[in-house]
Amino acid sequence: MGLVRRNTPPPEETAAPPSADTLLSQLDDPDPELRREAALGLDGSAEAVAPLLDRVAGETEAAVRDAMLTTLAAHDTAQVAEGLAVHLASDDAGLRTAVAETLATMPNSVPALLPRLIDDDDHDVRVMTAMVLADLPHPEAMTWLAVMIREDPHPNVVTAAIDALLPSIGPEHHELLRGAVERFPDDPFLRFTVEAAVK
Amino acid sequence: MTSAATAGAGLSEADFEKFREYFYKRTGIQFAPSKRYFVDKRIDTCIKNSEFDTFTTWFAALRLSARDDLLQELINQLTVNETYFLREDYQFDSMLRTVLPDVVEARGGANRIVGPIKILSLPCSTGEEPYSIALRLLEEWDLIDRLDVEIHGADIDSSVLDRARHASYGERSLQRVPKKWRDKYFSPVGGGRYQLDEGIRGAVTLHQVNVTDTLAMRAFRDFDVIFCRNVLIYFDELSSRRAAENLYGAMRPGAYLFLGHSESMSRISPIFTPTRLPEGIVYQRPTGANR
Amino acid sequence: MTETPVKVLVVDDAATVRLYHTSLLSEAGFAVEEAANGLEAVEAALTTAFDLFVVDVNMPKMNGYTCVETLRSETVGTPAPVLMISTEDRPGDAERAYAAGANLYMVKPVSAERLVRVARMLTAGRGIPA
Repeated sequence: MGLVRRNTPPPEETAAPPSADTLLSQLDDPDPELRREAALGLDGSAEAVAPLLDRVAGETEAAVRDAMLTTLAAHDTAQVAEGLAVHLASDDAGLRTAVAETLATMPNSVPALLPRLIDDDDHDVRVMTAMVLADLPHPEAMTWLAVMIREDPHPNVVTAAIDALLPSIGPEHHELLRGAVERFPDDPFLRFTVEAAVK
Repeated sequence: MTSAATAGAGLSEADFEKFREYFYKRTGIQFAPSKRYFVDKRIDTCIKNSEFDTFTTWFAALRLSARDDLLQELINQLTVNETYFLREDYQFDSMLRTVLPDVVEARGGANRIVGPIKILSLPCSTGEEPYSIALRLLEEWDLIDRLDVEIHGADIDSSVLDRARHASYGERSLQRVPKKWRDKYFSPVGGGRYQLDEGIRGAVTLHQVNVTDTLAMRAFRDFDVIFCRNVLIYFDELSSRRAAENLYGAMRPGAYLFLGHSESMSRISPIFTPTRLPEGIVYQRPTGANR
Repeated sequence: MTETPVKVLVVDDAATVRLYHTSLLSEAGFAVEEAANGLEAVEAALTTAFDLFVVDVNMPKMNGYTCVETLRSETVGTPAPVLMISTEDRPGDAERAYAAGANLYMVKPVSAERLVRVARMLTAGRGIPA
């Protein structure tokens, strides 16, 4: 009794890691913990990308979905970005916000999608796009946000874009922001946002 | 303090607010307005150590390019990263008063518990944290003579692990250790240093591991308590998420995770359940399938 | 006579929305604190007893619906009223908010007068402001 030292590692430490094939079949296991481990364990496996993308939207356990997204984000390829971006329109708030967060960590592949996302018919998708741009570590993120502020017809998208641009706002943006107030003179929140940003 | 004294990096109030919001979002650490002078000076140092001349250009590079070196330097400047025995001791109070009794009960009670109680200190650096845990358990936990406890320390840096194995410490490291404990568990080895008792050194298992390495972290299983203090803030978004997920995998359902006192999981990952203890917030791996 | 002010937690990832809601509610006499995502709100609610939560839907780390569910679950177990304010106006959104445990669901933009009126209504009987 008392403090004990473990001198020999238990079998699982010395066992060979499961093969990618084993992990891929484990993605459909009824036990969520096994699905979660499989999704995490597939880190770096190119052949896992398509099966993970297929399963993200249908995964019912948030912890498993988060593990899938963590593994997918590390790829930062067009295939992953496009496969995830469709879920920005999802009715499942957990899925669309988790996907927006994940896309915000993919500066190599997300820029190619932006022309489409910024022009999406669904203003909710454009609000989510502003959320992605808020955290995307990319030098052109500010430029796209400025385009959204200048052009977007929906006030909620414009305020979301202003909020995303907020940490970078300088005197050079004041005219852009005042223009937004003129476009939506009846939106008190937009006016407040701009006043706070330019003060 | 005069306004001239706060000039430092020459940050305007608005710049400071932007910085504060960014740093909070990135690391979960929030500075009180009273820390303004301190923060200004440290940012100044970061800018001087970089190739940038102004706050604006430095801050833009920090935020908009994937410059991990700039963030690393900033965190080093803004966090006090020293380790000593019984640091942030209130969390060990939590462990003794609330966490371990709950773990024992959840695992069937002191008479029926099967297998050891497992505690992990990650990163363990030069050993002060896992050895502090050992000392407090031996001195203050009434069940220590009835139950088996495994204490593990892990770190990515093999040189600190070598020092942890040797376990000899200077005055600065030992300042918070009560004299009674020092006399009982440490012996002078010259040069003002004291070496920890061989029995305790031998009882703590040390491992080299990178917490973001899922494959390597598979060896860590069924821990009841993990201390992971002041390290996740150093990682970028994806690495901190993966680290959190690997820690989750190393824990039993219902197990407890302590972060550093200024850290919060709320900026990293939602997979844990925050729980309020009298001494502060701690995180638990959910017991059911749902979170 | 000193009265306890009514404590509101404004939960939104957008700093401008937090600022807007905080300034409107503070001016109306509420004591306001802020959280930048659902998980932060849960942590704040574990240490402070709020009288009202004003919660956004789309937030990173933990979205508004999950946040409200967690506030109502045994993790927190707050009985305080929850007002959800969303940019979303999709079919079923309001039902989802109510199923999660919200008391009222509104779609942005919400006028200043309406926000304050609703906050007063939801917290009636919880001290000032009356």
